[in-house]
Amino acid sequence: MQCGWLHSGPQLWLRCVHRQVRVTAGKQREEHRGWLLTVDPVSHSVALVSFGEDGASVRVVLGHAVEHVEVLQEPDPDTEERLRSLLPPPETGGPDPGERRRRRSGVRRWLQQNRVPVEEDGNELRVARVLTIRAPYRPDDCSSANQIILDRVQRLLRVQPDPVPDSDPVLETSPAPETAPDLDGPIPPGH
Amino acid sequence: MATPVPVLRLPKGPDPNSRGFDPNSPRYIALCRTSIPTSAAAESDPQQLQEEQHARSVLRERFLRCLLAMSNKKVRFHMHEKVNIEATFGASDIDVLNFQVSDLHTPIGVQKEALIRSQDVISFTFDV
Repeated sequence: MQCGWLHSGPQLWLRCVHRQVRVTAGKQREEHRGWLLTVDPVSHSVALVSFGEDGASVRVVLGHAVEHVEVLQEPDPDTEERLRSLLPPPETGGPDPGERRRRRSGVRRWLQQNRVPVEEDGNELRVARVLTIRAPYRPDDCSSANQIILDRVQRLLRVQPDPVPDSDPVLETSPAPETAPDLDGPIPPGH
Repeated sequence: MATPVPVLRLPKGPDPNSRGFDPNSPRYIALCRTSIPTSAAAESDPQQLQEEQHARSVLRERFLRCLLAMSNKKVRFHMHEKVNIEATFGASDIDVLNFQVSDLHTPIGVQKEALIRSQDVISFTFDV
């Protein structure tokens, strides 16, 4: 895997992940050795990790500076385990169903109080049909193609007050907060 | 920890819309291509294309998690001419063309906020 590293496709790079590589970078041809974490397909930057006594250090070599990449060896099982734990994959599991349901309705009520159109769709919440909130319904669990709506919903979730235990929708008397943001845009002054 | 010193403001750089920084200029396209195109083999075969796209998204996600792990941490930038500077990482833009950092320790003082061009950087390191 010597020449043409930059021109080989993402499939080759994915195969080399977790292997030990030597990267030559820059005009001074500095050499960096480490376990390959990932290669960014957008900027061709190479992320390497090396383990020391007090933990791991990551070096990212920018794509434009990479001169040469050479694969050295496969990782042993211990290193493979450490590499896997460095960049954890997204959590798919979650809290138990009862807790999840409570959180989901709590988040749904908060969004509805703030005049955000939201519906429950199985385990997910759908906002205005363009944004999805997965379990466990934190700001980081929102996904949408619309950046503006994503930003507003995430902000709302961040300021959500802690849910009152066994709150009954009928007995809730708190009105929508004064500062409720409007999805249509900011309220002009004087209104 | 060095105390922040007032840094001389260098003259304003070239206007981003003038010749040379025009996104449609050949220089910009040559230096700052946003992404690698699909390979020729993948273009003809939809199955291969799907595999390639999957590989791309996995690699990109790992890279983004790497960047996330770096936010608000001390990062050492290794730049051209053996210049090494330290800063607190803020964010990167989508094409990894610029990095926003705080508390940049430069040879002439500490800059509270700064934007570093990725072309000036050879590599950067941080401790996990």
